[in-house]
Amino acid sequence: MAKAAKAGKAPGRQAASGSPKGGVRSVVWLSGLACGVLAAIAPGVAIVAAGLLAPGFVALKLDQDPGRPMARTVLTCGLAGCVHPVITLWNTGQSFEAAMAIVTDPGVLGVAWSAAAAGWLLTQLAPLIVRAGLEAAAIGRATRLRAARGRLAEEWGIDPATGNVPGQ
Amino acid sequence: MSDRPQPDGAPADTRSSDPRNIVAGQFIVDPSRRLIDAAGGLPAYAATSRRGGLTPLMAIAVSRNAPARPQTLVTGTGGIDGLACAVGHGMGPPIDGLDTWYVICEAPAGPPLSHGLHPWPEPMVIELVLRPLAAVLEHLHERGWTHRAIRPNNVFHSQPNRPVTLGAAWAAPPAMHQPAAFETAYTALCHPAARGDGRIADDVYALGVLLATLGLGRVPMEGLDDRAILHRKLELGDFMAITGGDRLPPMLNDLVRGMLAEDPDHRPTPALLRDPAGARGRRVAARPPARAQRPFTLGATTVWNNRTLAMAMALDPEETLTAIQNGQLMYWLRRGLGDSGLAVKLEDLVRHGVQDVVTDRTLANAGLVMRAIADTDVWMPLCWRGLAMFPDGLGPALVAASARPDPDGGASPAELSQKLFEIVQTEAQGIWAAMHEERTPSAPQRLEARQRRAILQIRGPAGGLPRLGYTLNPLIPCASPLLGDRWITNIADLAPALDAIVTASPNAEIIEPHIAAFIGARSDRVLDQAVKALVSEADPTDRALGALRLLAEMQSRYHPNALKGLTAWVVARSPPLVSRWKNRGRRNEVEGTLKDLAAEGFLSPIRDLLEDHAGHEADSEGLHAALADLARLDAELRDIADGGRRRGALAARLGQEIAAGIGLAAIATTLLLAAIG
Repeated sequence: MAKAAKAGKAPGRQAASGSPKGGVRSVVWLSGLACGVLAAIAPGVAIVAAGLLAPGFVALKLDQDPGRPMARTVLTCGLAGCVHPVITLWNTGQSFEAAMAIVTDPGVLGVAWSAAAAGWLLTQLAPLIVRAGLEAAAIGRATRLRAARGRLAEEWGIDPATGNVPGQ
Repeated sequence: MSDRPQPDGAPADTRSSDPRNIVAGQFIVDPSRRLIDAAGGLPAYAATSRRGGLTPLMAIAVSRNAPARPQTLVTGTGGIDGLACAVGHGMGPPIDGLDTWYVICEAPAGPPLSHGLHPWPEPMVIELVLRPLAAVLEHLHERGWTHRAIRPNNVFHSQPNRPVTLGAAWAAPPAMHQPAAFETAYTALCHPAARGDGRIADDVYALGVLLATLGLGRVPMEGLDDRAILHRKLELGDFMAITGGDRLPPMLNDLVRGMLAEDPDHRPTPALLRDPAGARGRRVAARPPARAQRPFTLGATTVWNNRTLAMAMALDPEETLTAIQNGQLMYWLRRGLGDSGLAVKLEDLVRHGVQDVVTDRTLANAGLVMRAIADTDVWMPLCWRGLAMFPDGLGPALVAASARPDPDGGASPAELSQKLFEIVQTEAQGIWAAMHEERTPSAPQRLEARQRRAILQIRGPAGGLPRLGYTLNPLIPCASPLLGDRWITNIADLAPALDAIVTASPNAEIIEPHIAAFIGARSDRVLDQAVKALVSEADPTDRALGALRLLAEMQSRYHPNALKGLTAWVVARSPPLVSRWKNRGRRNEVEGTLKDLAAEGFLSPIRDLLEDHAGHEADSEGLHAALADLARLDAELRDIADGGRRRGALAARLGQEIAAGIGLAAIATTLLLAAIG
């Protein structure tokens, strides 16, 4: 029984220790499989998606941060830019030619990639803006605390520099 | 006597109208009418009683450095015929601008016997001098007192062929003004202020010398200094020294010989002297002291017997110590005097002295010589490093020791003070008394010595020699330099005096050793505790509070009137006490209240305000809470200062989340727009 428990426990520990890598690898494989299935079933949509979401895939490749926040935003923004071309493709019969025409249309491509670029810019600016806000709040709070400290020291005869009470 | 006081009648308006001229609320003193030779050499002034009376009075001015005799003044000496009795005492008119304290006595009716001194016939001496003065001494003896001022200038003629009267002896320490000839060798050896009350036999001795003076018509050994008189008495014996070999009338001769006996127990009592024939017949054959076969020279004295040896030892203590330590004295005692017992005693003293490694060497040597002297002659006074005194003379001796140094030289008060300190510190009185155990019980003396030492050892300004001096002399004024020549004898007068001092000199430090010792000695237990507490306060703030407590108690108990100078003085020194309040608001409030209280002149409310235990406790709790708040604020500020990295990480995470949210919102919007068409 003990041996069986040990044998049963060891793979569990191994799975736990290798779970993130294994999970990522599984997602990659599943994503590849989904893409293959999509390319096989709806090659037009796959072409449009590949062309218009290229910046998102690049971002996905380059972003190594946990959760890939930058890639996520670039992809979501890129997806927002893909909605209209995909509907157009859908309405024109999802042919390979229509897909190629959409992908090669500089206007469509520009809009989609600009959306992706805007997403990237957002990921760069949003933390800075939030940081500025947090710093301003911290400075304001420190000012209020210092004033309260000064009042307290003045009221009780405490040395403001050392925080000691003279004569004690 | 140039000016005799008139019998009491209506006092002059100018004298009676000046309140300063009134002593003890009853006696009017006229400082412009000095009575010459009316008080045995002390300055005296005419006085009258407001209540009237036929007895003329005089006011004897008491010297600041020679205290009056408190026991006789407190209990009163009235009711003894032939004696200038004390009827009152107190502050009176200033003399030469200085505060003066007086003892009011009956004034003598005639001049002193020292005026126009001539040989008196024997019957007159016996009837007019011996009998009446013996009666006076008997009355004093019955009351347990001594006179100790029987001398020609203090015994007065009354009416022609009437008994003489004995002058006052209450305005100075016992025997202080006695010439050496009128004192036994033992008391003449003592410091004048430290001769003590003595015993009635000492008065009998002085009376004997007075009788010899009147019989011979001259003062014995007049013109000789005290030391020469002492040597003469030692060499010739008292009777021969006094009479100088001149013959006295037979009966007087026998009486005087008995009265001048070296052993006081051999002198006739006053009761016996009232019957001169009986006293003459009572001849006590005193065994003369053993005389050595060869003399021993000790210092400036040639020693022939125990008595002269003891005197020489007292006069030259250093030579004595050398002679004892090198064994020469013991050798002479065995081979010259044949007193092996004394030699063995001295050797024991030396042996014990060598074994005593704890006591300071100077004190140990002084104690050794003191014991050696007491062993040599049992009647010798306490002799300590050249100072001779009787223990009951310690009080006046302390006053003499606190006097200003004599510009003409003489014994230094500081030296005297040091010797008295050593005597009390080592309880020499008890040791000295124990060596006379076979004559008088020593237990009371040992107890007294221990009590005196306890007073001396009180730490800080509440103790020491000043405290002992004020305790032993209840009538002396406070000798604080701050009081100058003011005569302050009680706390009720001290309070306004201190008020005047601090009004004139706001920077004066009034709680100085003399004033603290004076308050401790003259006040009740509560005030004494307040004085003693001064020393235990190491912190200057607590000391200031201790001084405030003392002054407040003094005012509330002894002078319940406003003392605006003292309150202003206290408030001027209150900042350290006010600063004990940490809360600024409360501090400002206390400062404001203090100003108001200072204007009212009462110290107790100021003490209550500054001592306020509940207020201080609340203040302390508030301070602790404030410190806790301060620590919390500091922690928060540190957290803000150190939180840059954390805020950066938070900003990055939030920024990404916000960006992702905007991306999702963009998808949702485009899908919605597409759905709408």
